[in-house]
Amino acid sequence: MSGDNAAIVGSAVGDRLAVLSRRAFSFLLDWMTWGYVAYCVMYLLNHYWYTVHVDWWGTLTLPSWGWSVVVLATLELAVWSRSLGRSLGQRAIGVALQDAAGGRITAGRRLVRILLWHVSVPLFAAGFWRGGDPWHDRVAGMGLRPVSPDPERPGRRALATQWGIVALFLGVLTLWVGWLIIGINFQILARRAAQTGRIWGEMLRPDFRYFTTPDPVFSLRALSYSILDLAVVTVFMALTATILGSVIAFPLSFVGARNVMGFSPSGWAAYGIVRGFFNVFRSIETIIWGSIFAVWVGYGTTLAGILALTVHTIAALGKLYSEQVEGVSPGPLEAVWAAGGSRVQVVRHAVIPQVLPSFWAFTLYRWDINVRMSTVIALVGGGGIGDMLFYYKNQGDWPKVGAVVIVIVAIVWAMDYISGRLRERIA
Amino acid sequence: MGYPEGYLSERPPWTTGAGIQDALARRAIAARRYLGVFLLDAGALAILWILVSYVYAWYVLGTTAYTLVPWWAFAVGVVEGAAAWGSFGLSLGQRLLGRDLGPVKGREASSGARVWYLLLWHVLVLPGVGFLFDPPLHERLTGLGLRPRGTQGVAPAPWYRTSAGLFVAALLAVTCAAAVGVTVSWTALVRLFRQAGETVDFWRALVSPDTSILLDAGRDMIITVFMAVLSTLFAVVVAVPLSFLAARNLMRGPLGRPVYTVLRGAMSIIRSIEPIIWAIIFLVWVTALRSAFAGILALWVHSIADLVKLYAERLEAIDQGPIEAITATGAGRLSVLRYAIIPQIVNPYISFTLYRWDINIRMATVVGLVGGGGIGQRLINYIWGVQYRQAGTVMILIVILVWAIDYLSARLRAKLA
Amino acid sequence: MANPYLVVEHLTKVYERGQVLALRDLSFAVEKGEFLVVIGLSGSGKSTLLRCINRLIEPTRGRIWLDGVDLTRLSQARMRRVRRRIGMIFQQFNLVDRSTAIGNVLTGRLGYLPGWRALLGWFPKEDREKALANLERVGLRDKAYVRVDQLSGGQRQRVGIARALMQEPEILLADEPVSALDPATSHSIMQYLEQMNRQDGATVIASLHFLSLARRYGTRIIALKDGQLVFDGLPTAIDNAKFKEIYGEDAEEVEVR
Repeated sequence: MSGDNAAIVGSAVGDRLAVLSRRAFSFLLDWMTWGYVAYCVMYLLNHYWYTVHVDWWGTLTLPSWGWSVVVLATLELAVWSRSLGRSLGQRAIGVALQDAAGGRITAGRRLVRILLWHVSVPLFAAGFWRGGDPWHDRVAGMGLRPVSPDPERPGRRALATQWGIVALFLGVLTLWVGWLIIGINFQILARRAAQTGRIWGEMLRPDFRYFTTPDPVFSLRALSYSILDLAVVTVFMALTATILGSVIAFPLSFVGARNVMGFSPSGWAAYGIVRGFFNVFRSIETIIWGSIFAVWVGYGTTLAGILALTVHTIAALGKLYSEQVEGVSPGPLEAVWAAGGSRVQVVRHAVIPQVLPSFWAFTLYRWDINVRMSTVIALVGGGGIGDMLFYYKNQGDWPKVGAVVIVIVAIVWAMDYISGRLRERIA
Repeated sequence: MGYPEGYLSERPPWTTGAGIQDALARRAIAARRYLGVFLLDAGALAILWILVSYVYAWYVLGTTAYTLVPWWAFAVGVVEGAAAWGSFGLSLGQRLLGRDLGPVKGREASSGARVWYLLLWHVLVLPGVGFLFDPPLHERLTGLGLRPRGTQGVAPAPWYRTSAGLFVAALLAVTCAAAVGVTVSWTALVRLFRQAGETVDFWRALVSPDTSILLDAGRDMIITVFMAVLSTLFAVVVAVPLSFLAARNLMRGPLGRPVYTVLRGAMSIIRSIEPIIWAIIFLVWVTALRSAFAGILALWVHSIADLVKLYAERLEAIDQGPIEAITATGAGRLSVLRYAIIPQIVNPYISFTLYRWDINIRMATVVGLVGGGGIGQRLINYIWGVQYRQAGTVMILIVILVWAIDYLSARLRAKLA
Repeated sequence: MANPYLVVEHLTKVYERGQVLALRDLSFAVEKGEFLVVIGLSGSGKSTLLRCINRLIEPTRGRIWLDGVDLTRLSQARMRRVRRRIGMIFQQFNLVDRSTAIGNVLTGRLGYLPGWRALLGWFPKEDREKALANLERVGLRDKAYVRVDQLSGGQRQRVGIARALMQEPEILLADEPVSALDPATSHSIMQYLEQMNRQDGATVIASLHFLSLARRYGTRIIALKDGQLVFDGLPTAIDNAKFKEIYGEDAEEVEVR
């Protein structure tokens, strides 16, 4: 009896929480939209009024009380737009303000809702808990209800809906502000085309003098290299990193898979740690890892580049692998469990055969990316053919830069082709 | 009935244009098949040769050398090796293309026939005479031919018993030796363990961020986001029309095919140059004063090439059914485009664009490292200025930003699918 | 000398540089108002034949005369104008999945619309009304604004029929219209075709898998085997021996009720 009651209360609380989160989310979306518009407007005001004070990246100069005005104004705009039925947030999660009785909502009632909102929501947040609809909605006789498209009614054209209008408006605003922030200047592009044309011309007459013979001037750690030497080194860097990374990511991916780890506390912990590691390490780009490892093992050593590539490969491949492991069909797993297999046996005989082809495909895909990255990781001291590229570029020796770029294109192209063909065969 | 008769001609096939075309096509197919096997074998042998001499030179002679012999000896060795391998065993090329050299009639290819085949190969195929015949003359004379491999009911030999398997194993072993030897130096390994203390500062800095730079870093993040958004937008404007010209199934005929080939080739070249390298070029072009502009141009160029490839591949995979149906109603070509093709590609295009936007956010931080503006430029300045606390703060901000955008774009794409 | 409505003469289609002969020297004639059923195994050339008639596939050799006009000699632009009179429905329905039912039906009018109006999607009001009327006719008026990927197989084929109806076709090509459907739905689709044939006077050429359906709806049957004509006559003329000849020795006749 009491258990039933608890269940009913629980579900009521759950319903209210769902309604509440729906309102909060759509409100947040509206507020963010208006906030973005306000930012852009402020930027434009700053740019066109105080041109002298504005840096090219755009400092927003506001008096000290200005920020509270902006916050309040955007809040107010969000409330108005929601009540007047022009809300992006409501549209995005498919709800709309509707009369409980199904009648039309007059402007007066909307106004009442806006006024009441200011009283009810900030002061009596608890009003949400008093029923399905909060107080201001009930008094105004309307509520946020899910809307479903009417199959009898023709849909309107994209640009006639508020989605279309708002998207167009935000797009134009973004273009305008972005143009100013970034300082897009096609005049300079055209004016300096002649000077740059000389560089292009020199690059297109590549100087392959040091293709196989080592360049006596360019040297790394007292060894002189030819372009071909460094090209080979670059490919080997990618290869070592890919093999190392995939070998480490392989066992980790099973720890990072929900269905393998089960639901015991230790399983949760291991899963959480491994997945967290994947996610954090993945969002730091390879080249930033390169700058860390260059400090660690020495600027310009290939090992720094390999370690950077390896760390990022482990994280990226680990995530892809473990998503594959989570996507295996459960039938064979159950069969091995039923036959009395242990967890290791389940992985060995039911999971691995299913995921191996896609593992290979992902590894080859990663190999592709690693080749690309290894050509430029020298920028932060990771070694490889990029060393030569940046050296010649700093010397202003553009014909040799052209030669190196052509070699880079050839490497990337060839490896891309090979891995593409291999992936086709696997799939 | 009043309808003209005698439309079908009785001329022998080799006197008609179609007949000659057929014959040429058959010879071309035979030549291509043969060349494919040969090139794969020769390439594989050349790679093995180069790697072996490279490893030998690196470990024993202490220098780098690729062939250790004059180039002509290398070329002759590779060609001869490939020809012999193809004639006397199941070679890698034959294996990959699923073919086998065997008698056209009868059971087993004798070693005499194989020697004969190899000799005739030199005489007839090298000057190209053999391919004037169908099948090629040396195959016709020896009674051997490259045929599809029949494997039904026969247990496959273990890899260590086949020449192709042994070759691949040797190649892998030599490659690993070369890769480790060339890239990992002993001193660097020693430093990796001895200097681990040096990075303690770094990790400590990560957990004690410097909040005083937040406002400046936030401003740079805004620039980074705008760089990604604008470069994606500009790239879409260019890539959408180009993608139609780069789709194989839409570009047919003598005018279309060259356009397709040139466009795809150019895009593939542009794509294989990393945005960082593009940024270097554009920094010279628009001068380093306008770093964000140079960065956006670099991202723009690379995004165009990437998007054209993604878009065109999607276009090539569209369902032909609606095209057929709309053509059958008597609609013109533009109407077919508008009603049969575009509705199929709108959502995938948007989804690819969001994906590219996601990548551009990451790339915008990376482009900053060479001076392309935004948060990346700030990061590299801190790192090179040994201001690790500030660098750590910026890295945390980047992680948050990339994460947020990643999540957002994944959610939006899931909604579109 | 009354010319037949549609005449196919020595029609030959060769795919892939002489590797595959899809149609071999096929000749037959169709009178106006007939319900012609084409039967045969998969790969016997039924689809190729239908697509050659409105030149979705270019025939290699031979002629096709429609109402005294040689279709194989027409330019692309003239052919387009002829195609307006030839309706077609497909095995896989070939609808634009992301569009609504009425959007799909309206595409049937594209041949009559000037290019710029088609690009902007400005269909005349009469066309919209007609589209609704045709959807009404196939019993889908209430689904007009539903996206077709939410419809069932039979409903989608009915949308396909409504699209063909929009063309007011003189001749309707149906390429295995019921192969992807269950038996009950098959009959309802076939009845719509029969209705078009009887009421609107459209000549129907339908390819079918099942002989029972062919017997029930066709006024005449032709059979293809390996691209050659092996039978041409009334539905009642197909006996057991003929059946084995068309479908091979091992075939068993299956009833579709």
